[in-house]
Amino acid sequence: MNSLRVEHAVSEGNIVRDCPGTKDHICCGYKTIDLIEGCPLSCSYCILKAYLNTPAITIHDNIPYITSQIDEMTGREVRHILRFGTGELSDSLALDRRYKLNRPLVEFFGERKNALLELKSKWASIDHLIPCLNPYTIISFSVAPQRIIDEEEKRTSPLYKRLKAAKKAQDAGCFVGLHFDPIIIYPGFEKDYRYLIEDISRLLDMDRIIWLSLGLLRFPPKLLGHYIEHNRRNLLYGEFIRGEDGKMRYIKQQRVKVYTMLYRMLKKKSKGLFIYFCMEREDVWRKVTGMTVKDDDDLMTLFDERIKNLYGGNI
Amino acid sequence: MKTIPLNNIDTDDRRFCISYPLEDKTLAESIGEIGIVQPLILLDASPLIVITGFKRIMSAKKLGLANIPAIIKKARADEALLLSIHDNLGRGLNAVEKAHALEKMVSADFPRQKIFGIMELLSLKPHEKVLGNFVALANEGRPLKDFIVRHGASMKNIEYLLKFDARERKGIISLLSPLHITDSLLREILEMLILIRIRKGAVDLRGLRAPRDGRDLKARLKKKNYPLLSSMEKRLSAVKQRCALPPHIDIKIDPFFEKEYIDILLKIKSEDDLRAAMEKLNAILEDGYIRSILELTQG
Repeated sequence: MNSLRVEHAVSEGNIVRDCPGTKDHICCGYKTIDLIEGCPLSCSYCILKAYLNTPAITIHDNIPYITSQIDEMTGREVRHILRFGTGELSDSLALDRRYKLNRPLVEFFGERKNALLELKSKWASIDHLIPCLNPYTIISFSVAPQRIIDEEEKRTSPLYKRLKAAKKAQDAGCFVGLHFDPIIIYPGFEKDYRYLIEDISRLLDMDRIIWLSLGLLRFPPKLLGHYIEHNRRNLLYGEFIRGEDGKMRYIKQQRVKVYTMLYRMLKKKSKGLFIYFCMEREDVWRKVTGMTVKDDDDLMTLFDERIKNLYGGNI
Repeated sequence: MKTIPLNNIDTDDRRFCISYPLEDKTLAESIGEIGIVQPLILLDASPLIVITGFKRIMSAKKLGLANIPAIIKKARADEALLLSIHDNLGRGLNAVEKAHALEKMVSADFPRQKIFGIMELLSLKPHEKVLGNFVALANEGRPLKDFIVRHGASMKNIEYLLKFDARERKGIISLLSPLHITDSLLREILEMLILIRIRKGAVDLRGLRAPRDGRDLKARLKKKNYPLLSSMEKRLSAVKQRCALPPHIDIKIDPFFEKEYIDILLKIKSEDDLRAAMEKLNAILEDGYIRSILELTQG
């Protein structure tokens, strides 16, 4: 990571904004903080390859400017408990030991106590944050079978380190989040995911996982050519169609089958686990979970209930 | 300009030749009728070496001409190559000719900046990757080059063709050569063949032999690449066939079975038309065909 070109941006415009979501798919109403744009981890499937034009990493480090935008957003919201994250255009932790951008945000959310900050990562480095962690920060890890980490997420931390770091966060009094995203279909993936779920349930306190997302691989069409060019066998194994939002995704029949398998495996480990889908259709929700989640607002309400159950009146 | 005996020219020396193919029936007929109008440019050497006019000299040889009109030029090899490339620019080079020009520049150690300059003149993106593809194409054999010229294959399709190993490419070219296909259909076909190769490690062309046309080949490849989608399409088509819908009723389903709803379109000119359409719809509803179609859209 020493050869990274890092630019410090002048703070202007909306650095805190709504997750763009995607047409005709249910979004969880996430708020993104573009603290860093660009990622040093360079996973093979990463959609940032399609969205960001520059190899440089841009840092927005004017924290007062950012927190004023967060305040403005939480002040405007009257119905839902807002969840903010810095992992949309970058990895939340990969550069944090060097640039220490999260600490003031963690402290800010701990003082405000009216919203949650999620630090989403594939980089298992949280020791520098432990002294300032508080329950209003969710340490989250994207997880995948080690085979996928070895082949498609080469610069990231291995699975056991991510789970160890998540455990450390739980021990420090935080809830953690897990993201099965992207879930990749390849020969033998079912067995690998079963082992992954076994590892999670063995190493983590399942009651202190605040949420777990499931999101099968999806990408803008222009990345298909990129995957073909780089012979990404794992990424091209399933049957892709062009979704209503224009993104490539596995055909619905495959999605429902895989989600159902994972949903059942996870619920078997912890009945009360809060599982949601990232960018899925209403009928997929219904078919897999039996729940009717017809729009973004319904999903946000489910999040509200989950958070209230865990935090009581403390938020 | 001089008249030069053909015997004084080394017609086998192709170091400056970028033309492809060299055989040109129309040109040969024209030379046979009125002779060579435009003089060749020859490098001052012993024997003389052709810089421009390879097609003309091939035709002249074939026609048994003893002399040709030519200009003798003193030049360094790099200058002669550039002269050959620039002389041909005006006529619009095909992909193989562009490949020859670039490969010769690379072999002659031209600086990258100069090569990229020529790429821009050839309407190519001046990128290392594009250059690499063209150099690879220049080093390929006749079957691939002939196929590319005949089909006017785009850069993307050339890139795709180069992804296969020599044995696979031979099979693919012999499969595709008899077909009349557009460049976009060729792209779809090659993309599906590449997907098979990536997923399975090799392309198995059995089951694809002797397609009726490009669309037939595409359909067979689709079945291999998209078995779920293909089987759903088949089921849908069977249900629609059983419904026996009249031409003024159509049931439209998302082509990828993503949307959870279907569109039913009616074309009516009178109340009686509407009544008849509703009766028909009611009948297929009662027979469970609508449910069967909806099930397909629900994954």
